[in-house]
Amino acid sequence: MVGFILKRLVQSVFVMLAVAFLAFSLFRFVGDPVSQMTGVETSLEDQARLREELGLNDPFALQFIRFAGDLVQGDFGYSFRTREPIGEMLLTRLPATLELGTVALLISLAVGIPAGIYTALRPRGLVSQSILIGTLIGVSIPTFVIGILLIFLFGVQLGWLPTYGRGDTVEIGWWRTSLLSVDGLRSLVLPALTLGLFQLTLTMRLVRAQMMEVMRTDHIRFAIARGVPWRRIRYRHALPNTMIPVVTIIGLQFGGVIAFSIVTESVFQWPGMGLLFLESIRFVDIPVMSVYLVVIAFFFVFINLLVDLIYLAIDPRLRVRESA
Amino acid sequence: MHRSQPHTTVLALSALLLSASPAISETFSWAGTTDPQTMDPHAVNAAPVLSFLNNVYEGLVRRGPDMDIQPSLATSWEALPDGAGWRFTLRQGVTYHDGSEFNADDVIFSYERAISEPSDVKSWFSSITGVERVDDYTVDFLTSAPNPLFPGSIANFMILDSGWAEANAAEMPARDAENHATRNANGTGPFVLASRDPGIETRLTPFSGWWDTAEHNLTEAVFTPIGNPATGLAALLSGEIDFISPIPLQDVTQVEERDGFKVLAGLETRVIMLGFGHDHETLKYSDETTDANPFLDPRVRLAVAQAIDVETIDRVIMRGAAEPVSQLLPAGLSGYSEENAERPAFDPDAATALLAEAGYPDGFSFGLMCPNDRYINDEAVCRAVASMLARVGIEANVNAMPVRGYWDELRADNFDMYLLGWSPGTFDAEHPFRFLAHTPTERLGTWNFGGYSSARIDELMTPILQEIDPDARQGMMDEVAGILQDDVAYVPLYTEPLIWAMKDNVEVIQRPDNFFMLRWVTVN
Repeated sequence: MVGFILKRLVQSVFVMLAVAFLAFSLFRFVGDPVSQMTGVETSLEDQARLREELGLNDPFALQFIRFAGDLVQGDFGYSFRTREPIGEMLLTRLPATLELGTVALLISLAVGIPAGIYTALRPRGLVSQSILIGTLIGVSIPTFVIGILLIFLFGVQLGWLPTYGRGDTVEIGWWRTSLLSVDGLRSLVLPALTLGLFQLTLTMRLVRAQMMEVMRTDHIRFAIARGVPWRRIRYRHALPNTMIPVVTIIGLQFGGVIAFSIVTESVFQWPGMGLLFLESIRFVDIPVMSVYLVVIAFFFVFINLLVDLIYLAIDPRLRVRESA
Repeated sequence: MHRSQPHTTVLALSALLLSASPAISETFSWAGTTDPQTMDPHAVNAAPVLSFLNNVYEGLVRRGPDMDIQPSLATSWEALPDGAGWRFTLRQGVTYHDGSEFNADDVIFSYERAISEPSDVKSWFSSITGVERVDDYTVDFLTSAPNPLFPGSIANFMILDSGWAEANAAEMPARDAENHATRNANGTGPFVLASRDPGIETRLTPFSGWWDTAEHNLTEAVFTPIGNPATGLAALLSGEIDFISPIPLQDVTQVEERDGFKVLAGLETRVIMLGFGHDHETLKYSDETTDANPFLDPRVRLAVAQAIDVETIDRVIMRGAAEPVSQLLPAGLSGYSEENAERPAFDPDAATALLAEAGYPDGFSFGLMCPNDRYINDEAVCRAVASMLARVGIEANVNAMPVRGYWDELRADNFDMYLLGWSPGTFDAEHPFRFLAHTPTERLGTWNFGGYSSARIDELMTPILQEIDPDARQGMMDEVAGILQDDVAYVPLYTEPLIWAMKDNVEVIQRPDNFFMLRWVTVN
């Protein structure tokens, strides 16, 4: 068990280093940070000096080693654009992204699982068909279009919900939450719906497919033959078997929700890490872009590790294979 | 605001959330596309920073609604004899937001800070040899040669309290890591920086101890950067913000047609122009002409100018909001040459004839570099230019790219022709001459990507900066403008429009430099 975790940890370090390397090498082609940092009247010699001070003239390998070395020591460096420490920048943006992602995921589960069960049990019903078609339209329209449509419908035309930002936030230590104020919750509705829609469809279809599969298995047939009440068959026997793969996929998807909240955050001016990343691209803030990608890689690796550990705990076969 | 009651139980939660009405407040909230990246007035010489900080800090002089120079922290100024510099008499009884007093020491401290190595505003003081404190409220800026423009050129030179900067270890603008002045401010201006959340929200409150009489009626002002234009428009139309700048041209009608909103469309001072590779031996992006650069021939450059129908570009792409221009700066600014106000007439036949005369009867192809996120509808303008040039037989291969990589490409000479916008930072013709017309050196001609060079213009540069007699100075300006026009060094196209949108009850003053001054904002 300890060996397994250690092995995975070592692998994670390599994954993150690889991401850092890729990020770093790609961002050199994004543009020139110095011309974004200075005004039009800055002389060429000042620009050259700045470039030298930032180490942009050094060979790529040296720049990368310096970056990775600082990162390993927990020094995330400073933003080219604002000169703020990057660790702190990401930390102030982290709660916004995590809250948005979590609420989006909860919405997708709260709607997706019941809808999946319903459409599995009544596959030919009118309601099921309309749900399926409706969600199909939902995933076919790009996220930013959905976001803008929601904004114009609920924000501009009806005036029910805020169109941008987090609204009023409450600070608990360094964690700034929008979950504890009415205004904050109102602000969360549209972006969470936008971000959660794709997950919702995925969850629903996954639950539906699994449930239909499980309902055909022998133990369910036996239960039906024995005259077990329908309710008990569906929710006691079929549903838990349905949920095992669903939980895994959803766990892995959470990383994706965090990473792909970029579009939603941009449409709703949601002050999370994704918005910070987009702004950094616009101003060629190479250190911020690189650290962001490494942090996102860390999320994926960490969630993967957790999922593996949960597997290990619930699936005895894996443990046997490990000890063999 | 419309509100309706949801009926279904499914919406019970949402109903709970929706029934809370927004708090009524007199806060004025405004949005722009870019967050000022620092609160330090000497760290970055960029419009978003200077515009924002002009509400918090003040200079010795300031600009009025029509860009006129007015007294601010200096009550008066006079030239020292023999062009030795300028003497500023400072205002007495001015206090900073933290209560400390303003005096000559702060001016000298701010000057030294502004010319320190990490500062980005050094160019404002290139003619200054030293600063002397005469008494507590008199300061001399010394120059080696007369500099008549100096007082007008330092409207954005903002004064910091020396005591505050020293107490907070912010004696120099931040270079590597931030310092106290990056996120905090202590100016003398009409608004106090109440809170700063970089990239998210910045709050200002009126300064009760301001020396001047407040014309605004705000109790609080909140700035939010909104990068996505559709989001910004929605925030305005839903009433969440009171003011936004800029909005896309194509959304103007939508805002105007809605009750309760209005659009203020004026002209900015930015001129959009085409530049050529004057020092390129050959074309780089031609399909067939690889051994020559036809643009070296002034007749070809004139043909380009004659082939472009600026009126149509203005009408179709800029929706009539721009204005055709003949020089590197818009009409009306100081140093504008009335003698050269005529632009080459749109005349495709003459252009074709000129091309034939220059030895290109069948035309040629070349590369046109263009940003696609810097100026209003920039890529569309380039495509229109390309189609107009195609009509006289020269074919432009348009290469449009984001601005973050654009300047790099231009500095690397990767163009045959390029699009450029220029705002004269000093609001005087000397500014574009210095940066666009002078032969490129480390400090001059730094944006003259094509390497245009005229010995006469270089020769006139210093006298233009030093001439005190306005008529003699204008004579030299006219000569430079004339040379640029005869050489067709650039093809100036139009002045860019400035489009602000706001609620009907908001009154603002739109200054052509696109600075948003809260001290003139009233909400009725």
